[in-house]
Formats: sequence, structure tokens, C-alpha cells
Amino acid sequence: MKGITVEGVARSFGEVHAVRSATFDVAPGQVAGLIGPNGAGKTTLLLMLASLLAPDAGSIRIAGYDPVTEPHQVRRRMGWMPDALGSWPSLTVRAALTTSGRMYGMSSDAASDRAADLIALVDLDALADQPARVLSRGQKQRLSLARALVHDPEVLLLDEPASGLDPAARASLRELVRRLAGDGKTVLVSSHVLAELEEMADTAVYLAEGVTAAPDDVARAGQTARGWRIRSLDAERLGAALEAAGFGAVAVVERFGAVVPLASEADAAQLLAHLVGVGVPISSFAPAVGDLEHVFHDLNRQGGEA
Amino acid sequence: MSGFLRGMWLIVTLDLRQRVRGVAWYVLLGVFVLLVSLVTVLTVIASNAWDTGGGAVFSGVVFFVLLLGTLVSPALSGNAINGERDAGTLATTQVTLITTAQLVIGKWLAAWLTALAFLAASVPFLVFGIVLGQISAATIVISVLVLAVELAVIAAVGVGLSGVLSRPLFSVVVTYLVVAALSVGTLIAFGLGGASIQSNVRQTLIAVDYQALDENGLPPESGEVPCLTPTVNTYQTPRFDAVWGFLAANPYVVVADASPITFDELGSPRDLFGWIAVGVRQAQHAPDLEPVSDECSTFKPDGLWQDSDYESPQEVYDRSVPSWFVGFAIHLLLGAGALAWAWRRSDVPVRRLPAGSRIA
Repeated sequence: MKGITVEGVARSFGEVHAVRSATFDVAPGQVAGLIGPNGAGKTTLLLMLASLLAPDAGSIRIAGYDPVTEPHQVRRRMGWMPDALGSWPSLTVRAALTTSGRMYGMSSDAASDRAADLIALVDLDALADQPARVLSRGQKQRLSLARALVHDPEVLLLDEPASGLDPAARASLRELVRRLAGDGKTVLVSSHVLAELEEMADTAVYLAEGVTAAPDDVARAGQTARGWRIRSLDAERLGAALEAAGFGAVAVVERFGAVVPLASEADAAQLLAHLVGVGVPISSFAPAVGDLEHVFHDLNRQGGEA
Repeated sequence: MSGFLRGMWLIVTLDLRQRVRGVAWYVLLGVFVLLVSLVTVLTVIASNAWDTGGGAVFSGVVFFVLLLGTLVSPALSGNAINGERDAGTLATTQVTLITTAQLVIGKWLAAWLTALAFLAASVPFLVFGIVLGQISAATIVISVLVLAVELAVIAAVGVGLSGVLSRPLFSVVVTYLVVAALSVGTLIAFGLGGASIQSNVRQTLIAVDYQALDENGLPPESGEVPCLTPTVNTYQTPRFDAVWGFLAANPYVVVADASPITFDELGSPRDLFGWIAVGVRQAQHAPDLEPVSDECSTFKPDGLWQDSDYESPQEVYDRSVPSWFVGFAIHLLLGAGALAWAWRRSDVPVRRLPAGSRIA
């Protein structure tokens, strides 16, 4: 299979087991979010996928090739954006991208054409001929993204791509990632900003203490009760209506409205219909946390209890 | 193969572009030229070069380039790989199609070319020495070639250690220590080693009985030179012949000993290379532990007696073996070994990661 296939991958550094058991697939055309708390092993996992670190156990296929035995084939097809910012300080943005292109065996002309395209793509035109050392964090992040794309890879590994980006750049990153997926690329994005991933990821890989969550657990976690935030033009009537409907004990009323735990979407629809029916002026009715975040917290809680 | 060279050359140019862009580098080169011109002027005065030829100037400048090269090169090459790792640019190179061998060799060539810039800047002074005359073409070619290779060795040690050790400061310091061990450490080992191995010398002296000579200082009637009873002195002497091998590993000795030597009419070398080579080769010979100094048998009535044991530098040189290729081979192995080690340590995907180090 093309895309990314990871099975039973483990890697330890001495006594520290950074990744214990990671198993997941990402199909071409999909964007997968890699989600986990700090120290869960996300960066270690990405380093193994990027052919920089050999796993102790398990197998990895990137675009059908094994990064340990066929790193050359993998590197031809894989673009990696590291979490650590690094750029050659005295080279201009244009020169850095051209050099990266040539490292993938492009001719000078092809590499400089590609560099010009990418500069426009990540919106660095104004800084194209400035040395990389003058770039801000967000601008370096965009340069790093452009470098990962320089050889038009079919698999893209992005480690915290949104950190340091302003809202406009985040929006264009999201758009770019969706477009790449639309072109049939496979994208794996790690991030702490779950709301960010919510908007671009098709699927998610949850990693906690070096173990990926099993699909069953993820499905179960998605079905547990979650908070819904309800806002009304008339807070007092909303409170009274919730009380009357039997939610008085569990509803948390706060400045931004009331948060009510509901077991399923069906329950949510029912409650909304009821509230509207009794004449409460509802202005907003939505999950208090995103799907990814809900599952993430729930899995963490399960892990904590286990 | 052409693909290999292309990728390697890309690394060389990338490295040089980052290094040479700095103003500091040109300032350094300017200071170097100033120092070399100073050395040249002083050597011309000291060696009376207008009359005796340019041998001293040429050899002096070559040694000065070696000295400066060994002092500057570790700082420029000793962080080539781990410095990039710290800057976060090593891993982004390693995920491309650039192989580890291309990376390590490219870095080494860039460091070497940087050191060779010092040699290039000193060319006018070398030419000046050649114009002054009395230097053989073989000396010019061989000494410059050996110098260039010695600079390559130091660049290889620096780049190699930067791939083996994870902290840039530490690898630069260790490179300096290696250079110091070769340049100064060998001298210390030679001096202390020789001095600590002492042998007893029994010197027999057979002196002339000057009181038995007649008033003209001639032997009496019989014609026989009157001799005193032989006296025996014992003293200790250092055995440099046991430790001379240390000197073979000294880069200055390698350059000097490799260069063909020209001698003047008295059998003395014409340049610094020659004096060093003769000195090293003198050390190869075991001292005579039972010398007999027989003034009596060589006595001439005119008072002139020749010590038949005297050897000119040329005679010493001719009856001993050259050592430079031993030192040269050691240096080449050291450089190649350092690069090979760096290659093994930097290869990705990493299997064994030393404690405290990181990939990206």
C-alpha cells in the first residue's frame, strides 16, 4: 500500500522508551493528525518515519518503501518539516530553497524555478532575497514548510507546522494541506493545537506514552458523554428551562452560556428542539470542545485510570 | 560516480558560501598576509638572503603557513558537523538524497580549501623566496605538496571529530589537542624520553705528555711522541636514538624531511628544512659508548691535529634513513580514520544514539 503504514514500531533511548508500540495507516489523499501530550513520542515517531532514526522493532512503509533498508527511495518521496527551526543563516530564502532542490538532484534551473514557485506559495516574496537569519519565527516556519515541499513529495510529515504562525498564515497552511491531500498526497501532521487539526485532518492518530490508541478505544471515547455549550439571548430563561428539563444539577452556567453534558448527538438534537419549543431564544448550540480534543482528553483519562 | 561528485560539490559550495560570507574571514586572511610579510622581511635580514639565496625565506614561509594553518584550521573545521546539528540544518540535509559520505567528504574538502586559502595568500612570498634563488625545483614542489596534504590531515581530524563528538566546543578543543600533540607533544616526548634513558659512556683519553717535548714543542730525539697513561672518564649521555621515532610524527619534521636537501660546499644545508632534517637524522645514531680520544697518535708537531671523527651535516644526512613517510603515513591514517569514524557516527537512520546526543 502507498501512503504511510506503521506496524508495532518501538524505539527506546537507553532506559527511556520513547515509542513503545505504534500502529496506524494513513491512506493517500488523507490528512492524519498525530495527537498526544508532550513527551508522548510524536517527534521520535516522525524521526523514524523520516528515515533519520531506525526503530528497535516493528515495520514502517513510506510510499511502499522501508526507511531502514531503502532510505534513498523513501527520501525521494517524502518531505519532512522538523519541529526544530533550522536554516542556513547566511543564505537567502531563495538560495536556501534552490540548494535544497539541488540536494534532491534537480538541475540548477529546475531548482531555482521550483524555489520561485514555493516562495510565492508560502508568501515570502518580500523576503526572498534576505538572508534567513533576519526571518521571524513564523517566517522561518514557512520557509521550512517550503523546503519540505521542494521535491513535490507524495508523503508529507509535518511536525508542529502551525507553531509560530499568525492566523492568516494558519489559514493558508490549512488550505495548502487540504489542497495537497486533494492532489492525492499523504499528510501526517502533529500538533498540540487540536482546534487547528480539527479543521484539516480526516483521521487522527492518538499517541500517549509511546502507544497509539487502538481504533476501538478511539471509537468508544468518541461516544462518551461530552459537554455542549448553549448560549441564549436570555440567560435566565435558559437556566429555568434547563432546570425544568432536569439538567439543573449537571449544567454549569458560566459567562459564555451553559455547558450541559449529553451522551449522544441524538440527545443534543432532542434538547435543542425542546429548548426552542419552550421559547428560549437560542443563539448558539455546539460541542464545548472539538471531536479531537474530546477523544484526546477521554483517552488520557482512560490511560490515567488504567 | 558523477552523481556522487555533484552532491559532494554542492556540500562544499554550501559550506564555503556560509563561511566566506563573513567579514571576519577576510580580516583573518589580511592579518595573516601582514604576518607573513613581517616574517619574510625578518628572515631576509636574518639570513642575509641577498647573498645566500632564498632557501631560508622559502622554508620559513612554508613553516609559517603550516603554523597558522594548524592554529586556525581546528577552529574552522572542528564544528563542521556538530555545529550544523546544533543549528538544526544537519537533519534537513540528511533527509535529502545527499548521502552521509557526500556530506562528510564535502565538509572536509570545504575545510581543506579554507586552509589552502592561507597557502594561496602566501604564494607571493614563496615566489619572492624562489626569485632569491638557490632552491631546487624538487624542494619547491615537494614541500608545498606535503604542506598541502598536512593541512588536509588537520582539516580531516577537525571534521572527523566534529562528527564523532556531539558538542562543538569540545570537538574544537580536542582537535587543538591533537594538533598540539603532533606539533609540540612529539618534541616533549622526544626530549623527555631521550633524557630519561641514559647510558654510561666510558671515555678513554690518551694525552700527549707535553712536558716530555723539547723546547720547540717537538718530540725528543727518538721521534716517538711521548704519551701519558690513558685515563678513563665515565659520564652519562641521553639516548635520543631510542626515541627519535617520535619526531617522525611531527608535521614540521615531515615537511622538512620530505623535501630534498641541497648542501653548500662545506656540506651544510641551505635552508631550514635541511637543518631540521639533519637534526632528526643525527638523533637516529647511537652515541659511541666507548670513545677513545687518542691525541697522541694523531699528534702533529705543528700543533694542528684533526679529529678524525668529525662528520659534516651532509655525511650525517647521507648515512641515515629518511623518516618522513612513516610520519606521513601515520597522519594520513589519522585523517582517514577520523573521517571514517565521523561517517559511521553520522549515518542515518541512526541505530545507536549516544547518550545526550540528538538527531535534529
